[in-house]
Amino acid sequence: MLQGTVSIEGQADDLVAGDLTRHGLNLTVAEARRITELLGRDPTVVELTIFNTMWSEHCSYKSSRKILRELLPTDAPNVVLGPGEDAGIVRFAEAEDGDWYCFVIAHESHNHPSQVLPVEGAATGIGGIVRDVYCMGADVVGVLDPLRFGDPAGPSGPQVISIARGVVEGIAQYGNALGVPNLGGDIVFDGGYDENCLVNVVAVGVVKESQILRSRVPPQAEDTPYRLILVGKPTDDSGFGGAAFASEDLAGEEEANRGAVQVPDPFLKRVLTEANKRVLELARRRGATIGFKDLGAGGISCVTSEMAHAGGFGVRIDLDRVNLAPGHFPPAVISCSETQERYCLAVPGEIVDEVLAIYNDDFELPHLYHGAGAFVIGEVTRETNYRIESKGEVVCDAPVDVITTGISYERARQPRRLLFEEPELDPGRSLHDDFLAMLASPNLASKNYVYKRYDSEVQGRAVLRPGEADAGVIAPLPGRSVGLAFSVDGNPFYGVIDPYQGGALAVCEAARNVAAVGAVPATITDCLNYGNPEVEEVFWEFAEGVRGIGDACRGIGLITHEGSPIPVVSGNVSFYNQGESGKAIPPSPIIACVGIVEDYSKCRSIRWKDEGDTLYLIGEPLDELGGSEYYRTIYRTFGANVPQADFIRQRRLIKAVVEMHSLGWVLACHDVGQGGLLTTLAEMAMGGGGGELGFTLELGEIPSGLPPEKFLFSESGAFVLELPPGLEREVLALCTRNGVKLYKLGSLVSHPRLEVLSGGSRCAVWGLDELERAFLGGCRGIFGLGEV
Amino acid sequence: MTETFAGKVAIVQFPGVNCEYETAAAVEAVGAEAGLFRWNEDPGRLEDSLAIILPGGFSYQDRIRAGVVAAKDRVMDKVAELALAGRPVLGVCNGAQVLVESGMIPGIHWERIDLALAPNIMTDREGYFCTWVHLRCEESGCVWTRRFSIGSVLPVPVAHAEGRFVTEDAGVLADMRDNNQIVLRYCDSGGTVEDVFPVNPNGSVENIAGICNKEGNVLAMMPHPERATWLRQIPEDLAGAWGRKRRLAAGRADTMEGEGPGRAFFTSLIGT
Repeated sequence: MLQGTVSIEGQADDLVAGDLTRHGLNLTVAEARRITELLGRDPTVVELTIFNTMWSEHCSYKSSRKILRELLPTDAPNVVLGPGEDAGIVRFAEAEDGDWYCFVIAHESHNHPSQVLPVEGAATGIGGIVRDVYCMGADVVGVLDPLRFGDPAGPSGPQVISIARGVVEGIAQYGNALGVPNLGGDIVFDGGYDENCLVNVVAVGVVKESQILRSRVPPQAEDTPYRLILVGKPTDDSGFGGAAFASEDLAGEEEANRGAVQVPDPFLKRVLTEANKRVLELARRRGATIGFKDLGAGGISCVTSEMAHAGGFGVRIDLDRVNLAPGHFPPAVISCSETQERYCLAVPGEIVDEVLAIYNDDFELPHLYHGAGAFVIGEVTRETNYRIESKGEVVCDAPVDVITTGISYERARQPRRLLFEEPELDPGRSLHDDFLAMLASPNLASKNYVYKRYDSEVQGRAVLRPGEADAGVIAPLPGRSVGLAFSVDGNPFYGVIDPYQGGALAVCEAARNVAAVGAVPATITDCLNYGNPEVEEVFWEFAEGVRGIGDACRGIGLITHEGSPIPVVSGNVSFYNQGESGKAIPPSPIIACVGIVEDYSKCRSIRWKDEGDTLYLIGEPLDELGGSEYYRTIYRTFGANVPQADFIRQRRLIKAVVEMHSLGWVLACHDVGQGGLLTTLAEMAMGGGGGELGFTLELGEIPSGLPPEKFLFSESGAFVLELPPGLEREVLALCTRNGVKLYKLGSLVSHPRLEVLSGGSRCAVWGLDELERAFLGGCRGIFGLGEV
Repeated sequence: MTETFAGKVAIVQFPGVNCEYETAAAVEAVGAEAGLFRWNEDPGRLEDSLAIILPGGFSYQDRIRAGVVAAKDRVMDKVAELALAGRPVLGVCNGAQVLVESGMIPGIHWERIDLALAPNIMTDREGYFCTWVHLRCEESGCVWTRRFSIGSVLPVPVAHAEGRFVTEDAGVLADMRDNNQIVLRYCDSGGTVEDVFPVNPNGSVENIAGICNKEGNVLAMMPHPERATWLRQIPEDLAGAWGRKRRLAAGRADTMEGEGPGRAFFTSLIGT
């Protein structure tokens, strides 16, 4: 007999709605009726709670799935595993034994929890994303964190600053303690995030293809009895309703929602990671195939039903065998709470005792953390039913495929009416002062304070660290020259003007950034942060952004496989990013790109290297400064002419730059993006601080056809390269062959200053020390007091 | 990982440490064998080890105070016993905190804790700080630095929130000086020991980065030599001779896979 059923069939809507609210469920009455229909009877509280999570926007992608499927390319010859499981997997180097080394990548958001409890929210963001990578059998080799905060100088300034500091602290606390290096990230400030910050997290791992683990009950369960082991922290009610919470807007319920934020514990995770390694070694040694999955949204019920469903089996769970924290928790809470630092394993009966011994005896989990440990909580059944028992009673009993049935909504969309105008440029402005103001604006200013809060050295694989180049680079395989490059990007200001370009340009920028260190873009992941999808204009922004991403992936394509798109192997959709005022955040698709470089020793920092070397610009600054730093900082306007992503041109640029790197010509390379050409030159000159070389840019010698300010601050995608002198003819031939525009800018000098001339007369000159003061001090008072 | 530690360098894996693998790799880079010793294994297995390393990380979650819980672990009795008999012991970062909390460093007064690794004091920032610093090798009888000449300057990264060597007892500082126990000092890329941030990244007294016991076989250091074992690990833009060497190696993966400044700590384990 089923325990605790809720009457829905034949009940009036208002009674059903009242019951749903009383049980703390976000399901609509229509959804509850649909569940009753699927089950063929009234559901239990536990069943409703499971559906509440599984049908949340966060888990079900109910608004986004159709559009993602339709618009994003997910397959390419290098892809081992695309979207669908916890992380995507891509091959990057052949192993000596004919196996393949693969990288594993996952990308998530932890926006709502971080707004409410910044330290814990951001820390559990890292904690959750690394589990997604670990559970594929990989070693995690790094994390990246794209962050978006409100305006520190705006009306919510103090709160914005406290959130920004808390988020950085949370990322540092978790990542540093876990021993996973920070490989990069970016930070954008804008008033549009005052009430809803964005904390996206990316984790990357490395695994041999033959050792990939799947998040499912293995087919061997057909012949051998398999048990389900739950390992980790004792289950409590933390994070109960977390996925559902992430799928609501933050309308003044921050206090009430605090319980929905999980409690992070990197120490326990670190011990679990070591114990897991020993368990996987044991399984390999004994020839046992196991299933392995992390507990995230929806807790025990989601992980076990999804593992069963993916394997084509059923499971029987006994909640009395789950290790609990002190307290009394009803079955619905035990089944669905999102307590951190837990994994589920499907293990053949004959190694169960040994697996438990590794966790409980060798690594003393119960001793290290009160109530932690590994316990058998259920068994795999051939009959494909999903059954949960508690205190001898059945609290959930339904076919697995009913539990995991998706839900999909067709959302209406409506183009937003856009009214943007180009500013009239004021010829009387001081280029000198304007540029210093730009460099000192928090969006362009150095984030060195933040980088040094994170451990970027642990594991000893770092080649280029955050801030040293456009992409972070690691040497993942000891003794081998292959390198992996990582970048995360997403400029929200383009998307405000044109959400399609916002998506497309994020892909272009991320791809250019890995190319800037000589890496070939191999895959992207996307985290799509938008407002309420039930608002037609917001859903339009979302659909446009996805269309832009898809077009860019196909348009740029894999350089290594003509005709293949850059695959999107993992990602996440985060809706309902809005605050009390109901105003959605700016459309914020954030892209992570991974590039592969054959020889990491050719990856160079952006800092200028030697006097007498030649600077080149490849690519073409155009009159498209809409959303640019220049317009926004100096003219306090967005402008209208947003950059138009030209995929063919981007592909050619990337190809040309990668080729120059592989020829060993490149001494320094920096992408032209936010802040335009002049910012690129200044950042190369400063090289993070203490720059010693200078440069004079003579605008008269560059036939751009643009007014000087537009040429200097256009954000049309391009690269500045430092090459040794004397290569002019070769460089021109290479660029001509690749169909890209080349401008020779001039030679580096030993005088530490940056100068702009026009037809011989000086427009402006800056000492590197004054540039550094502006750049290094621009975030003073936000993350901390200082700048080092 | 291993059945026996005879002739091997034992790396003690307290719960929460996180640098054990790169430390093992650094040991193996010099041709020695490394093995992980899980904290609760039989300490007797360490008996025939070549040396013992306490790696960095957050042993026991830094509960109470960094290093203090691990310092009370029963394996540390064995480590102290072997150290007393002359076994080389190296504690890096959290390992250094364990050695200080166990009283093995500076080890001037029997079983007395004379030193602390206190929270960093920095200009305009607080908490955890990860950066590259330069170290000057001072005159000492430390076995772990016997491959360095006195006054040599080496870049190595630091990454910690509590790395400031302090003592309440001025006599201890004088004793350490007299006994040549101060092995490493923070300096600038030219080798000048100047007590300014970030040359001294944590406010350590007398810029101390590493201290050995009187006998010289036990070294506690906050910087991470295992993260500077290969040339490729050095930041390209780093000032000083090693930075120049790194820039000159660009485009040559073989050179990049060559020796970094921290490797000599591990080379000291082998040969005569």
